[in-house]
Amino acid sequence: MKIGFLGLGIMGRPMALNLLKGGHVLTVWARRAESMQPLLDAGAQAAAGPAELAAQVDLVISMVADAPDVAEVMRGVAQGARPGLVAVDMSTIAPAAARRIGEELAAAGVDFVDAPVSGGEVGAIAGSLSIMAGGSDAAFARAKPAFECMGKNIVHVGASGAGQVTKAANQIVTGMGVLAVAEAFAFAAKNGVDRSKVREALLGGFASSRILENHGQRMLDRNFKPGFKSWMHEKDLNIVMQTAHELGLCLPGSAATAQMFNAMVGSGLGEEDSVAVLKLLESLSGQA
Amino acid sequence: MKVGFIGLGVMGRPMALHLRRAGYELFVWARRTAGVADLPATLCATPAELGRYCDVVFTMITSSADVEAVALGPDGLIEGMAPESVLVDCSTIAPETARQIAGKLKAHGIHMLDAPVSGGAQGAIDATLAIMVGGDAAILARLQPLLECLGQRIVHVGSNGAGQVAKACNQMIMVAAIQAVAEAMRLAQASGVDCGKVRQALAGGSAASRVLDVMGERMVRRDFSAGIEARLHHKDFGLVLEAARKIGVPTPLTASIGQQLNALMAQGWGQDDTASLLRVLEGQ
Repeated sequence: MKIGFLGLGIMGRPMALNLLKGGHVLTVWARRAESMQPLLDAGAQAAAGPAELAAQVDLVISMVADAPDVAEVMRGVAQGARPGLVAVDMSTIAPAAARRIGEELAAAGVDFVDAPVSGGEVGAIAGSLSIMAGGSDAAFARAKPAFECMGKNIVHVGASGAGQVTKAANQIVTGMGVLAVAEAFAFAAKNGVDRSKVREALLGGFASSRILENHGQRMLDRNFKPGFKSWMHEKDLNIVMQTAHELGLCLPGSAATAQMFNAMVGSGLGEEDSVAVLKLLESLSGQA
Repeated sequence: MKVGFIGLGVMGRPMALHLRRAGYELFVWARRTAGVADLPATLCATPAELGRYCDVVFTMITSSADVEAVALGPDGLIEGMAPESVLVDCSTIAPETARQIAGKLKAHGIHMLDAPVSGGAQGAIDATLAIMVGGDAAILARLQPLLECLGQRIVHVGSNGAGQVAKACNQMIMVAAIQAVAEAMRLAQASGVDCGKVRQALAGGSAASRVLDVMGERMVRRDFSAGIEARLHHKDFGLVLEAARKIGVPTPLTASIGQQLNALMAQGWGQDDTASLLRVLEGQ
């Protein structure tokens, strides 16, 4: 299939490489020319912009930072699109924004799928991302061969926006999960108990989780290198809190968690991995 | 001096009338003209037209987007107001929006003060509002006599946006106090103790406050008619939390109370008084 890829950052680059490895014909565009180079070296073509890219392909995929960026590149896609084009956005943005972009593309005859991912840079490189998609059955079916090159757990959740709702739900669980593990570790340490032993014991019971296993280990190693940057988790939790505000939805745990991530950004931990929330807890409790 | 007023709701209407009574010639614009036909004022067709007539224009509007539209949109004030005229925005909006509007008006030589108020409908009627002002001190000095028609405590907080920051602080403290009173009332009630007696006892001590006085009494009487519609506090909390996250300032209590307000909205009490936070607790 002829696929166009927009946005070649930490996530986008390995995802696009996996499409090439899967045998697809790839055209790429990124705002900074140098981020295109690794893809061009691997056999992709460069396009001058989103419109030109859209004119050459059957499927467009975007992976950019935030809703305004998605809206902007998709406006270009709508201008250049051939009839029957399917556009897929894999960035994490608000469900309402995704629905709006879907409607704008539909007006230009482009079928839209919101398909945010979970699994981080590691999952993007390994081609083992979780992909949660929202859109029509037909559009999802068209995009599925591309999804299969990039991810393992691929779920068509529902109509337009449903993918972003699922991703927001994912960020609620992972955000609170990381904070819960960090709090448990701070608790153990302040009580003079070895946290690595606590982790080991907990992994055998109901508190066992992938976050306790992976993020917990990184906390023990004091490895705060991203992974997933705190400011991005803060951004995602803000999507959750804004949506809750608009809907009249009471989410006390998410609100408290979002505040911790807000404090991380404010105290200069934004560029570190979200497991650095442990450092914030430690300094609040005089454990630093 | 000719004065324009846009946003003639429960707050704006008495404020406009105070200015008229003080002798200022009044010009108004409203989306629905029926609501303003009885005012002793000249009705204008657009904000731009109103702007052409007036030296000073007051706005008292609910949302940031509406203030932006009235000030900067098509047929907006910016198209009519003359250089050296002043927009006084009494609405509660995001500090950032206030700064942006001020910047755009300034490019046309138009001054702006952000001048949000506290004191509610009663304060507007009694002309006892607290007014927190952001903008140029010299412009405020020029308009001081007009603001004194509306309120008693007029504080120049700082440059443009500073008035809105002060208002955000006001809302954080006020609604947190309402939640504290609601929780105390709920504890008393669930313990089988007379809420009215608790309120009376507390009023003499360190927990005494205007919120305990006014909102506490509403809770005791179970009078949840507004007062201040809770949906406005809900809106303001959205602004406060957004402003705080943008500069990385943690506000854990505000965030938590924001969730209680979300629950209040979900129960359909948005048009009732914020004392309804007690009812949210009763349902939890």
